[in-house]
Amino acid sequence: MGGGENMSLAVETEKLVKVYGNGKTMVKALDGIDMKVPKASVFGLFGPNGSGKTTLISILVGLLLPTSGSAKVLGFDVTRESVEIRRRVGLLPEGFGFYDHMTALENLVFLATLDGVPSSQREKRALEALEAVGLKDRADAKVSTFSRGMKQRLGVAQSLLKDPELLIFDEPTVGIDPEGAAEFRNLVRKMNRDGKTILLSTHLLYEVGMICTHAAIIREGRLLVQGSVDELYRSVREAKGFRYEIRVKPGSDMPLQEIRSIPSVIEIAQSDNRVTVLSKNDIGSILFSLVTKNPYKDIVESLTPVEPSWEEIYRFYQEGG
Amino acid sequence: MGRDISVLPGGGMRMLKNALSIARKEFADAVTSKRLWLIAGIFLLFSIASTYSTSFGFRIGARQTTRPMVQIASSIASATAYMAPLLGIALAFDAISGERERGTLRILLSRPIYREDVINGKIMSALAVTGLTITISSLAAVSVSILLHNISVTVDDVSRIGLFILFSVVFSFAYYALSLFVSTFSSKSSHSLVISVGIWIFFAFILSIMSSFIATAILGPPPTRALTLFNMSRRQFGNFTTPGGATPQELEEYLNYVRKVSEISGTIQAFSINYHYTQITSSLFSFVAGPLGFGRGEITIASIPTILSTRLIDIIILIVFPIVFLVASYMVFTRRQEK
Ligand SMILES: Nc1ncnc2c1ncn2[C@@H]1O[C@H](COP(=O)(O)OP(=O)(O)OP(=O)(O)O)[C@@H](O)[C@H]1O
Ligand SMILES: [Mg+2]
Repeated sequence: MGGGENMSLAVETEKLVKVYGNGKTMVKALDGIDMKVPKASVFGLFGPNGSGKTTLISILVGLLLPTSGSAKVLGFDVTRESVEIRRRVGLLPEGFGFYDHMTALENLVFLATLDGVPSSQREKRALEALEAVGLKDRADAKVSTFSRGMKQRLGVAQSLLKDPELLIFDEPTVGIDPEGAAEFRNLVRKMNRDGKTILLSTHLLYEVGMICTHAAIIREGRLLVQGSVDELYRSVREAKGFRYEIRVKPGSDMPLQEIRSIPSVIEIAQSDNRVTVLSKNDIGSILFSLVTKNPYKDIVESLTPVEPSWEEIYRFYQEGG
Repeated sequence: MGRDISVLPGGGMRMLKNALSIARKEFADAVTSKRLWLIAGIFLLFSIASTYSTSFGFRIGARQTTRPMVQIASSIASATAYMAPLLGIALAFDAISGERERGTLRILLSRPIYREDVINGKIMSALAVTGLTITISSLAAVSVSILLHNISVTVDDVSRIGLFILFSVVFSFAYYALSLFVSTFSSKSSHSLVISVGIWIFFAFILSIMSSFIATAILGPPPTRALTLFNMSRRQFGNFTTPGGATPQELEEYLNYVRKVSEISGTIQAFSINYHYTQITSSLFSFVAGPLGFGRGEITIASIPTILSTRLIDIIILIVFPIVFLVASYMVFTRRQEK
């Protein structure tokens, strides 16, 4: 995705500012956000507590008004056309709740009514949504009997009712068990395969980081970086070096002189049958041609570039890039 | 900064549809709530019990009346004066704050609807619930009294009861609107409940007590000699023509004092919606409710048109009050932002 082209963007914000309160207690929650979410991407919005994720998301669906700046979601303006946005966007808000005295199915059917789902299809849609989050067998149970994780799943279910083009999830895996988180990732992958755009915010990078195709890192109301995951990997590598892992056969000794002599290599670490190489530049192809010839050919089992972890990327940008 | 405007072509119908969907759910919630049945039950008990003391009066002949139904209705009215506001508050205090507290408001507002739809739906449902509850429980109280006390009902009685029900619904709805307003800006339902009930207690009890205090404070204590004499004469069943030593001037002085007290306290109480409601219902059922209950007795009942015209100001205030608070709730709620 090249960005810039309006048609290819699901979300585009320009100099978005949000100030809470007035007079003495002013909080600048968003401080000039320019965010571009490409269509058909899984976009992660990562940032610590209080960085402005929920504020940004709330503006995108028209729950909050921006103090200044503008934003378009699926081509609609957030201040003037928020109903059109909500017709096409499914939201899992932060701190949501359901009507406890009603069953899961009753809740969803009621919400589907407001989503404009024709009455003949409401129950079917509601059951499909419950199925998608693994709650179908609890359809007729009152929400008051649900565990926290089940409520979170129901929260995801309600965002699917209108069959939205764009899904926005605020902290989707909070309170969900590891299996639930894995199921959620599968659901997101499946929806993404179906062509839907997914924007999700979290500070739990390890839970959803791996499904993102794009990401932005936010801190104190400012985007520190955004782009495709490959771009982010690359810039972190460029700053912190490229890391490779060479696995050698147990018991064999790996000669390191030749690798050490590659000019951009900064550091070599060896432990058991693993050699880690850190280099300033991309030396993937050099290393490859090296390990495929003698004497390495018979010793080396594998050579893999080590991608920076999300924690690493996150820390890198939070610490100022 | 402009917000979405809902007057797009076809928007009106869609808006009504969404508001009706919300109203339907709200109505179902209300009629299945313990709260509503508790209030309706207390109201029935309260009004039937008070009709007993009235009918006991008929039997011992102390208060022979030509209009037993009117007497009975007036005791039902005294129960309504307490229960109608509580009904309104019960429906409203958590209407918005409760949804905010539980996080359902966010879920609602992430649908393709307007904030107006949410509040419109709630108001529609509340109108239906207050209307039905007050109508059904008043009619139930009237029917039970008719059966228990074996009294006959005239067409005029029926019209009075009809008007009474109408004004009671408006009165209940006035408290609904007031409490809804409190609820729109509260983030906690408990706060909203305390504030709403506090306002009710103020209007229903404190203001009337305060008003006589203030009146006495302004006018000073009553003329003492006149008071003693008056009390003596009152003990002889209100026979003013045997003053037992009081001169006509002294009596006149005292009555003037009483008139002034009731004027001042009436002015102060005019701030209370309860006062206006009571003025209307007491005219309908013809007992005079002054601060001292002064002058209660065999008065001929004013005709309905006369009542409507003499109580016009009270009626207007009763109707304007909920409108003001509905508009205020509307303005606060639709302009609020919800994260
Ligand atoms: N209603 C409010 N009034 C005043 N300040 C607020 C309000 N809501 C949020 N803030 C402030 O705005 C900033 C951003 O808050 P926001 O909820 O958007 O952060 P977040 O990234 O979603 O955090 P978390 O990860 O904890 O959910 C914080 O400094 C917060 O204190
Ligand atoms: Mg948040």
